[in-house]
Amino acid sequence: MTNAFSLYTPRASALHRLHPLTMLALVVFCLVAGLALPGPWGPYVVFLLLILPLAALGQVLPNLLSTAVKIALPFAISVFLIQGLFWTGGTPVVELGPLSLKREGLWFAAQSTGRVLTVVSSFLLLSLTTRPDALMIALDQRGAPKTLTYIVLATIQIAPRFQAKARTILDAQRARGLETEGSVGRRVAALLPLVVPLVLGSIIDIEERAMALDARAFSRSGPKTSLLTLRDTSAQRAGRWLLLLGMIAVVALGIWLRRAA
Amino acid sequence: MQRSFNTLTLALIPVAIAINIAIGQIIVLLKLPVYLDSIGTVLVGLLAGPIAGLITGGLTNIIWGVSGLNPQYTPFFYVAAVIGLMAGIFARLGWARTIWMWALGGLITGVVAAIISAPTSAIVFGGVTGAGTDLIVAALRASGAGIMQATFGQGIVSDPLDKLATFVIVWLIVRALPLRLRVRFPNAEYLPK
Amino acid sequence: MIAVRDFTYTYPAAPRPALIDINLEIAPGQFVGVVGANGAGKSTLCYALSGFIPDFYRGDVKGSLSVAGRDLCKTPVAELAGEVGLVFANPFNQITGARFTVREELAFGLENLGRPRDEMVARVDEALRLTGLTELADRSPYALSGGQQQRVAIASVIVLRPKVLVLDEPTSQLDPVGAREVFETLDALTGEGATVILAEHKLEWIAAHADRVIALRGGRVAADGTPREVLADASAEELGLMPTRYTLAARLAATQGVVKRDGPLPVTLDEAREFFGGRQREGA
Ligand SMILES: Nc1ncnc2c1ncn2[C@@H]1O[C@H](COP(=O)(O)OP(=O)(O)OP(=O)(O)O)[C@@H](O)[C@H]1O
Ligand SMILES: [Mg+2]
Repeated sequence: MTNAFSLYTPRASALHRLHPLTMLALVVFCLVAGLALPGPWGPYVVFLLLILPLAALGQVLPNLLSTAVKIALPFAISVFLIQGLFWTGGTPVVELGPLSLKREGLWFAAQSTGRVLTVVSSFLLLSLTTRPDALMIALDQRGAPKTLTYIVLATIQIAPRFQAKARTILDAQRARGLETEGSVGRRVAALLPLVVPLVLGSIIDIEERAMALDARAFSRSGPKTSLLTLRDTSAQRAGRWLLLLGMIAVVALGIWLRRAA
Repeated sequence: MQRSFNTLTLALIPVAIAINIAIGQIIVLLKLPVYLDSIGTVLVGLLAGPIAGLITGGLTNIIWGVSGLNPQYTPFFYVAAVIGLMAGIFARLGWARTIWMWALGGLITGVVAAIISAPTSAIVFGGVTGAGTDLIVAALRASGAGIMQATFGQGIVSDPLDKLATFVIVWLIVRALPLRLRVRFPNAEYLPK
Repeated sequence: MIAVRDFTYTYPAAPRPALIDINLEIAPGQFVGVVGANGAGKSTLCYALSGFIPDFYRGDVKGSLSVAGRDLCKTPVAELAGEVGLVFANPFNQITGARFTVREELAFGLENLGRPRDEMVARVDEALRLTGLTELADRSPYALSGGQQQRVAIASVIVLRPKVLVLDEPTSQLDPVGAREVFETLDALTGEGATVILAEHKLEWIAAHADRVIALRGGRVAADGTPREVLADASAEELGLMPTRYTLAARLAATQGVVKRDGPLPVTLDEAREFFGGRQREGA
């Protein structure tokens, strides 16, 4: 899917064969569990015992790990330094000259890092294994508005083209010596010649984009059909209900564990 | 045809989201202390009204995250939605007719964004973003502020400035739009000049 | 089957009408070229004939415009998708982006019309074949060349089997190869007996293919007749039309006394051959 704004990676895996809604339910379950379970350990349990094995099953483990780490690492460094060093009234565990790392701060940083890791890797799991068009069509077959499907799919197809266009304009501006020094105001103002033509041009285009939609009966009322068919099974339907119950259970468990602590 | 918005607004939304993403990512490359990732959202709010703005903002962060490219943005989808909503409301109040009122709208939107994003930032992300603005959080924590206050402090320093710049850029763009196109949008009567 | 009566149209916020007192009858199966200088009203006439005026553009309409007895001014454009189709210049903007492959992009209109899946598959296959896109059916429309994208745009409209196909300068943003692809596709389509309205600056192609040419000036119909009547006429240049090279050569030959002929000047290769006294192509 090199033409769309998506990380979807085709594989002949069991996860890839799942109905997109089953995959969605699975990922939302991971997300809810990761945020509901308490303490620094909660998110890590979900990450290690749920998300990573699923990624392995989907044959996307290396992709998921490398991207997740790339995104989570700057967070982790920042949060460990800031909350570790500057935790107010914590217990020092390591002395670093005039500063010290505090146990409570490190504890908190570990928990935040775990949450970031779960959020990021849940979304990555979904996007690596699920075709965005299949997901949107599944949602609209379940009654989600057509306009939503259109907005999402059109966005992920035109965003890469806009990024390319923005890059080209930026390179041109750089070649002409884009303002990189001076006050923030000056530098933002120097961006105007980059931003304004890009936006203006694309707004002028929307008139034709709208006409193309109307010429294809998009805003017609009445029932619509679909060329793409998605395979669903009763086992998967049952699975989705179980995952929903599982979410409720894990939230309850989280509350109970926090109470007990 | 009972539909919440016309085809023109509908065609505008994905383009606006793509603008948010494309410009947002360029700015990251330039290491500027603003985000400018809501130009499209504010534009839709101004041209097409609060609901369209809300949808544009919310979907920007959801798509940006669920596509796997910037998953850390998704939890803030409601902040982006409120920005679009507020731009739409300020436009309907006629604030876009003059640059001064519109800029004020940008500042207010920035303050609101800082307030409502702080809890998510603190709870999910430990108050940091992994970017340069974390120095503000560090400074505030060092001087004894709580996590929520420090996060909010970071937001209140960067958000109003960012939204001010965004609102002004959008205003300039809309004023440059050909009249024949401007008259076609739902908010035509509230646009600058 | 297309009947335009005293049609005058003004865009919203425009100082004067873009179309004035248009009266036209267009028979089914006719291939009509619409020509004229920039700003003459070609695009506006295209939008009117395909139902976008007034439903999409708003503005002020007087008179009437109907296709097969259906009043276009009173029908929302989305309800007209199976009746009239519009293709315009920019290929990129005509890809809806709502689907990921060429095949699904073509099916998009049929999905919106709620056609059953079997019918959809058959019609999409046929449209792919007519536009020569069968090989590209599973590619992303965004991965194609401009000419190919324009053919996708044409295919997504003809798949709805409109009674009238309107094209507004469909080759003006393409390179020569892309333009040729599109013209070859149009050639194949006109063989199918569809009513085609084509606004175009490339007059030689119009001259060779159209049954009829309508020339606009300042929003009015300034000339209406066969390609030869309209394009070879001495007044054509006043309408902002560049004479074809056949007309230019014949006019030069006639004024310099190289050939002695009166009557209309040629606008196509075959007419030029005849004009210069060559033999008509056998069986042409
Ligand atoms: N959306 C619009 N709003 C107001 N006026 C318009 C609009 N579109 C076109 N016009 C005006 O209507 C007139 C006819 O324009 P039109 O686009 O139909 O010309 P055209 O023959 O297609 O020209 P071209 O060869 O440049 O495509 C022009 O004076 C133009 O400025
Ligand atoms: Mg035109």
